[in-house]
Amino acid sequence: MSTVNMTVQIGSLKMRNPVTTGSGTFGFGSETKDLVPLDRLGAVTVKATTRERRLGNPPQRIVETASGILNAIGLQNGGIDDYLANKAPYLRGFDCPIIVNVPGENPNDFAYVVERLTAAGAADAVELNLSCPNVSHGLDYATDPQLAASVVAAVRKVTSMPVIAKLSPNVTDIRVIAKACEDAGADALSMINTVVGTAIDPRKRKFRLANITGGLSGPAVKPIALLAVWRCYNTVKIPIIGMGGIACPLDAIEFMLAGATAVACGTGNFVDPTLSLEVIDGIEKYCVENGFADVNALIGAVTAA
Amino acid sequence: MINFLHGMQTYELFRFVGIRIYFGVIKKEAAQVVSVTPLSAPRHFVLTMKSAHLASHSRPGHFIAVAADTGSAILRKPFSVYTVNPDAGEISILFSVYGPTTTAMSRMLPGDSIDVLGPLGGRIFDPEPIKGIHHILVGGGYGVPPLNYLAKTIRASAPDAMVTVIIGARTANLLVGDDDLLDAGVEVIYCTDDGSAGVHGRVTDALLPLLKSDSRVYTCGPTPMMKAVGELSEAHGVDCQVSLETFMPCGVGICVGCVVKMRDGVFSRTCTDGPVYPGCEVAW
Repeated sequence: MSTVNMTVQIGSLKMRNPVTTGSGTFGFGSETKDLVPLDRLGAVTVKATTRERRLGNPPQRIVETASGILNAIGLQNGGIDDYLANKAPYLRGFDCPIIVNVPGENPNDFAYVVERLTAAGAADAVELNLSCPNVSHGLDYATDPQLAASVVAAVRKVTSMPVIAKLSPNVTDIRVIAKACEDAGADALSMINTVVGTAIDPRKRKFRLANITGGLSGPAVKPIALLAVWRCYNTVKIPIIGMGGIACPLDAIEFMLAGATAVACGTGNFVDPTLSLEVIDGIEKYCVENGFADVNALIGAVTAA
Repeated sequence: MINFLHGMQTYELFRFVGIRIYFGVIKKEAAQVVSVTPLSAPRHFVLTMKSAHLASHSRPGHFIAVAADTGSAILRKPFSVYTVNPDAGEISILFSVYGPTTTAMSRMLPGDSIDVLGPLGGRIFDPEPIKGIHHILVGGGYGVPPLNYLAKTIRASAPDAMVTVIIGARTANLLVGDDDLLDAGVEVIYCTDDGSAGVHGRVTDALLPLLKSDSRVYTCGPTPMMKAVGELSEAHGVDCQVSLETFMPCGVGICVGCVVKMRDGVFSRTCTDGPVYPGCEVAW
């Protein structure tokens, strides 16, 4: 075995390596149990869990676009009760930190779910889904610094777990939101959520998604995500979990060089559920080959061309 | 029920509402292509690959997901298992060239490697080999191959089972997936929209006179056809198992993109909650 230190720290959350899964791209960990031993991951980030059960949007929910996909799932999930009863016990059977993604329609919703998770010990960190673009009527907390801060502050009051604010790229300047979340008490940021978009079937002259709008993910969004990470890295002091289009180990390296402390494999899991494992091994190999004894040395190590 | 199964460490066979639950052990592998054979139907091929794992774990109704190097199209594409040869450790799939993945597959050569994930699927066909049951399999287009596998499986487990396969297509040269059915002792009825082969009409025209209280119907193919078959069976009080074909981005239950609406209002993932459902559960 190599001697590279792969351990990274997200607030008080210690990860054995810098790789987690993107929320909504890895279910609740059990679906791919034949393929991915959870205790190899730095952390598992599970699908969004809301206060009440949600049925989600009608199909068509996902369409394939150039180098990516558009999704409008609509946060289908069983709610916090279902998570605590049926999902958490399975996840707790592994030596792997759990990050639960939490959406909400108002700060109270966020705080309620986080409080339940905290009381039950059913998560090791929470990721606030400030910006799910597929839920109508919900305010987009990620597009306004005050609104984003209000959610972070509400959650900060009810938990000592690391609070990670997941930011949207659908803003004029993501740094403003990042700073507001840091000031409100966030321990870390994750970015980016999907890029809002749509697709049309010209033969039928219809939108291809039942929801009309969806979130673009996959390799198509990687340049947007990398820039967001680099800009925020130069703006805030808290760690960043970088994500958006990671499809191979070198993609993950790029995110770390841009300033990410950890990375998440997302849409790539749909193509290859074992991508996270490949990325973990690839990051370690990259460190060995390039003379890095500590993976943390990669963080923000990019220099001008 | 499904969530409970997902949490299990071992795999078992379960039965409820007439559908078999069987999660095969999912494996990702680079299988070796044995052959890619063009069919007489235009742009249709049978691809046979070497995979001891798929050959021993696949059951009728299971599917596999193929990734090919296709440039900007990133997702895997699902294909029903067509034939299985456990002795040779080979399985085959039947496909028509439609997009970049199938184009790449049609150009593969023996010895090439093919990136496959499988077997996939949670609820699969349950032939329930009860004596005296008349098994009627109704397929159209790309829905025929999995029914071929099912028909042969029923006959292999119960050599005296009555099995009829109704195969529909727009026209005669698009009738596919009927290989070896007659040799397996299966009755085959062809239907074409233009009358160029077999019954001039829809598969439901051929199905209607066969429906009796001892019938059991299985169907796979285009959604409007399955809806018609499901509703006709239900109207005659006959159990019908439908294998839904949807766009499946991941195939393993994590993207929640392949859902269909059930009559209880729930959106069900066809990849792992299906693909086979009792027809009476689906909100067509």
